Amino acid sequence: MDFFKAHSVVLIVPGFASRVKSGIEKAVVMSITSTPQDTPVPVRQGRAAQIHLALSRSWNHRPLWLLWPGLLLLVVIIGIPFLIAFYISFLSLDQYSLRTWLQAPWVGLSNYVATFTNSSVVGSSLLASLGVSLGFSLLTTLLILPIGILAALTVNTPYRGRAFVRVLYLVPYVIPTFVTGLIWRQMFLNGTGLVDRVLAALHLANINTYWLLGGNSFWAMVIADTWASWPFIYMMTLAGLQGLSSEVYDSAAVDGANFWQKLTQIILPQLRNTLALAVLLSTLNHFNNFTLPFVMFGTPPPVQADVLPLNIYVSSFQLFNFGGGAAMSVFTLIIVLIPGFVYIRSLRLNEVKAS
Amino acid sequence: MVKSFVRRAHLYSLLGLALLLVLAACGNGASSNSSGQTLHVLVLVSSNYPTQQKQWMQQIGAEFHKLTGANVAWDTYSSTTEEQTKLQTAIVSGSGPDIFGLGTTFVPTAQATKGFYTLTDADWQQVGGKSKFFPQQMTMAGKSPDQAIAIPWVMRPFGMVYNKDLFQKAGIAAPPTTWTEFVQDAQKITQPAAGIYGTEMDPSDSFDTWKIIWTLSKQLGKDFLSSDLKTAQLNAPEVANSLQFWFDWATKYKISDPNAMSWKAGDATRAFGEGKIGMQLMVSPTIIPTLDKAGLQGHYGFVPMPTIPYGMQQLPANGLPVTSIVSGDMLAIASYSPLKSLALKFINLITDQQHQEDYTKIFGDLPTNMAAANDLASKDELIAGLVKAEAGATPTPFSGSWASIQVAMAGVCSKIANAVATNQYKPSMIQPLLDQANQQIQSQLK
Repeated sequence: MDFFKAHSVVLIVPGFASRVKSGIEKAVVMSITSTPQDTPVPVRQGRAAQIHLALSRSWNHRPLWLLWPGLLLLVVIIGIPFLIAFYISFLSLDQYSLRTWLQAPWVGLSNYVATFTNSSVVGSSLLASLGVSLGFSLLTTLLILPIGILAALTVNTPYRGRAFVRVLYLVPYVIPTFVTGLIWRQMFLNGTGLVDRVLAALHLANINTYWLLGGNSFWAMVIADTWASWPFIYMMTLAGLQGLSSEVYDSAAVDGANFWQKLTQIILPQLRNTLALAVLLSTLNHFNNFTLPFVMFGTPPPVQADVLPLNIYVSSFQLFNFGGGAAMSVFTLIIVLIPGFVYIRSLRLNEVKAS
Repeated sequence: MVKSFVRRAHLYSLLGLALLLVLAACGNGASSNSSGQTLHVLVLVSSNYPTQQKQWMQQIGAEFHKLTGANVAWDTYSSTTEEQTKLQTAIVSGSGPDIFGLGTTFVPTAQATKGFYTLTDADWQQVGGKSKFFPQQMTMAGKSPDQAIAIPWVMRPFGMVYNKDLFQKAGIAAPPTTWTEFVQDAQKITQPAAGIYGTEMDPSDSFDTWKIIWTLSKQLGKDFLSSDLKTAQLNAPEVANSLQFWFDWATKYKISDPNAMSWKAGDATRAFGEGKIGMQLMVSPTIIPTLDKAGLQGHYGFVPMPTIPYGMQQLPANGLPVTSIVSGDMLAIASYSPLKSLALKFINLITDQQHQEDYTKIFGDLPTNMAAANDLASKDELIAGLVKAEAGATPTPFSGSWASIQVAMAGVCSKIANAVATNQYKPSMIQPLLDQANQQIQSQLK
């Protein structure tokens, strides 16, 4: 009986019924719509209290067992490996102790201290790599954001050939990253690559300009990743645009708004949440990009392009410093969690505001 | 009613989970070596002869099945990086291939993991005895003769290829035997305007870097490790001189392509194949099909690398005339494998004289079977020269940290190449980098 009561409470919250997803719940909701007398809401409780009561009751009686497979996967795929990596970060684990890694010597925080204080002769130090990764991910995201938005705007309204353009836009995104890396490696080869040939023909640079070594390697990586990843922003934006009501555009047109006004005062504000999510996911994706620099530069990479994932890989699997690599991984996880935490926090704030 | 529904749901969930676990267990069972008598073998993929390698695998599989009734399941790796990753995964998980085809210089690291059977005298008898194999290769079979873990399979001596047409055009009669002659010959060949250079460099390659610097250092009388393998010597003056001499090719003598700082071995081979390079160093006979395919057949020669250090008339006191490194592939049996006896039978099969000779004819790798090597050498002048080069090959120190030393030297070369590419190179930067590498490696030595 409590189960039915709880769902009758759900009905008093405007719009809440739409959040009920399971067929069982829907059936229950339908069966009780004619029994409003079973919804005991204290008169003195405010609206917020009603919402809280509704949420807590419905949560308690939802079929939570449906979460089991997801939880199990999370534990197996993320939880256990993370705990193992965390444990390894306190071990002196190398080729000599790899086979019996559980018995590897415990070294406390030594790996963490070493990763912050010692610099490897292969590639960059941890902090330098962090700088490269942050610069790479933020810069690439900043570059792809306007490109993706503009691309989405070009295919938002119907016209002849729109479907073809939409498919064309997705080409960079569907090409496997290692292929993208190989293509751009060939294009950035100094002396013989397309980039140097074009720049030399335009008298903008020497034909022997190095792009896969030195400071230019960072820009080569940014350019290649920008080319490959802008369709992600495009897809997210287009999905958001398709959800906007055409009435808003019509009324803006009636008011005489130009393109820029429509974009900045109508479209972008309404896409704020979608774009925030896109920027977050994009930044994290770039931050964790291993394949592109690995294929473009190989190992050891130039210090200017030694992103954190590549640095961790070389330390762990090529220098057999698994403990140090694990410490760097834990550090990276903490860094990556920060924007995620901020995003989730902002979502909660929005929910509170909305309620 | 609701409670019973929830209970039922929990029960179904548990049953589903149990079913998944059972299926996973069945999956493991299906691929188990012991139950199906299937021998899992991991070898390096042949990029030059992919079709022939598949045919060879099928043929060996069929012969092995006929011989023992067991099947062979092949797995391949395409790079040393993949080789390391697969080995590390297998060692940690205690499951994977029964037999690993390992690069010779990777055997010390593999032995350090303690993940492979130490071969007894009885084991050696099962594969034809130690005397069946080329002596130089046996030096890399284990940390001592009674603690061998790997059985030699194929060998690839290193040498130098030179472009006969460019030599003739420059008026050079014979390939150089000293590094002084090498630089002089290269300078004669070099014509920057035509894009032709006397030699090549590939300082962005992960492996040619340590091979070249180690060879030059050995000729000057210094190894990367002390003879007891306990002290790193990467920052010795001989190593620093070797590094400086190598980068002098680009910065001082101008005998290599100024674009070569980003090159890997493949880039150098491509340039040689295009007829733009006079001499390419540290190549194995596996380069022959690539060069022939590039249209250079009959226009190049394969000779030993020079041995007398630059500016010297003879080797210094402790210098060794290193012309090649003991290199090739060896076979090791994982200690988690329950099929050791079957694995030894397999190794015996592919290392017998006939199969070794057949393998050489198809793939170009030299046989480690002494009888096969001698037989082929008596019939083919090129192979005779290669076998002779292998007889003079020098083994690298048998240290479990050798793989890390390779990576460290690649890191040093990469940073110097970075500086050369951006016109920031100064010879004085070499020593601090070597000091850093030495410190890092010393901390890993056990």
